[in-house]
Amino acid sequence: MNKLAARAFPAFAVGFALFYAPAYSFTTGDAGFNWPLFTYFPSVGDFGEIHPGLVAGSDTLGPPMWWYGWIGSSIIAGLVVAAISLMLPEKATMKIWSVAVWVAPILAFIFLLDYEMFWFVPGWMPLTSFLSGGGAG
Amino acid sequence: MFITFLLILHGICALLLVGATTHQALGVFWPRRPGQTDFVANARGIRPQVYVEAIMVLFVITFILGASVYPTYRVYVRPPLEDLRVLYAIGLFEMKENFLAVMLAALPAYWFFWRRTQDYPQTRMWLTGLLVFSVWFSFIVGHILNNVRGLG
Repeated sequence: MNKLAARAFPAFAVGFALFYAPAYSFTTGDAGFNWPLFTYFPSVGDFGEIHPGLVAGSDTLGPPMWWYGWIGSSIIAGLVVAAISLMLPEKATMKIWSVAVWVAPILAFIFLLDYEMFWFVPGWMPLTSFLSGGGAG
Repeated sequence: MFITFLLILHGICALLLVGATTHQALGVFWPRRPGQTDFVANARGIRPQVYVEAIMVLFVITFILGASVYPTYRVYVRPPLEDLRVLYAIGLFEMKENFLAVMLAALPAYWFFWRRTQDYPQTRMWLTGLLVFSVWFSFIVGHILNNVRGLG
C-alpha cells in the first residue's frame, strides 16, 4: 500500500492540478476546446439536467455549470498520471513526486489567477491567452 | 430554507476547518519553544500530525456542502451580481472554487506525507501551507459573497 500510495497519490494531485488549470481557463475561450466532462444545468426541472461535454447556456436550459465537469475530467487526468507513475521506478521518481506535488498546485494557482484577473482588471488579457485563442468567460 | 440551512452548516464546517488548519500550520511554521507557556505558545504547542484526519474529513464535508449549494449560487446569486457589475465578487468566488478543487485532489498525498512517511519534511510544510492558505482565502471569500448577496 505504502509503495503504491507514495507515487500514485502525489501523481494524482499533479495530474489533476495540471489538467484542471487549463481546463478551466480554456473552456470558454474561442478556440473550440471542450474540456469539462459534462455540463450541469441546475435550473431545468427539479434536479437539473446533465449534458455530456461542453454545452452553452440558453433560454430553455438556463445558466450552465461546468465546475463539476472540470472536476470529473481532472479526476480522469489524475488517474491517468497516477497509473503512469506506477510504471516508473519508485526510487528514481519518489524525490520528483515529493516536489511536484506542491509545485504543481502553485503553478496551477498562478495560471488560474492569470485568467481570473479579468474579473478585477477591465480588458485584462491573460499571459497565456495565445494558447486558447481568448480569455476565459 | 433548506439551502440556507446547508449554507450555514457549510459555514460552520468551514470555521472548524479554519481552526484545524491554523493550529496545524502554527505547529509546523511557528512551533512552541521550550519554556514558552503563554496562551499563544500553547496554541502553537501541538503535534501537527494529530490534525491530519480531522482536516481531511472537515475539508471533504465542507467541500460537499459547498458543492451542494453551488447551483443556487449559479442560478440566484451570480446573475444579479453580473447585472450589477459586481464582478470582483464573482472573480473571488471563481478563485475560491478553483483553489479548493486543486487542494481536494492533493488531500490523498497530504495524508501520505503526514501519515505514511517520516521523510520529505519540506513537502509536508508546503502542502500544509497551501492548504491553510486556500482554506483561509475561501473562508474570507465566502463571507464576502454572503455579505454582498445576503440570505433569502
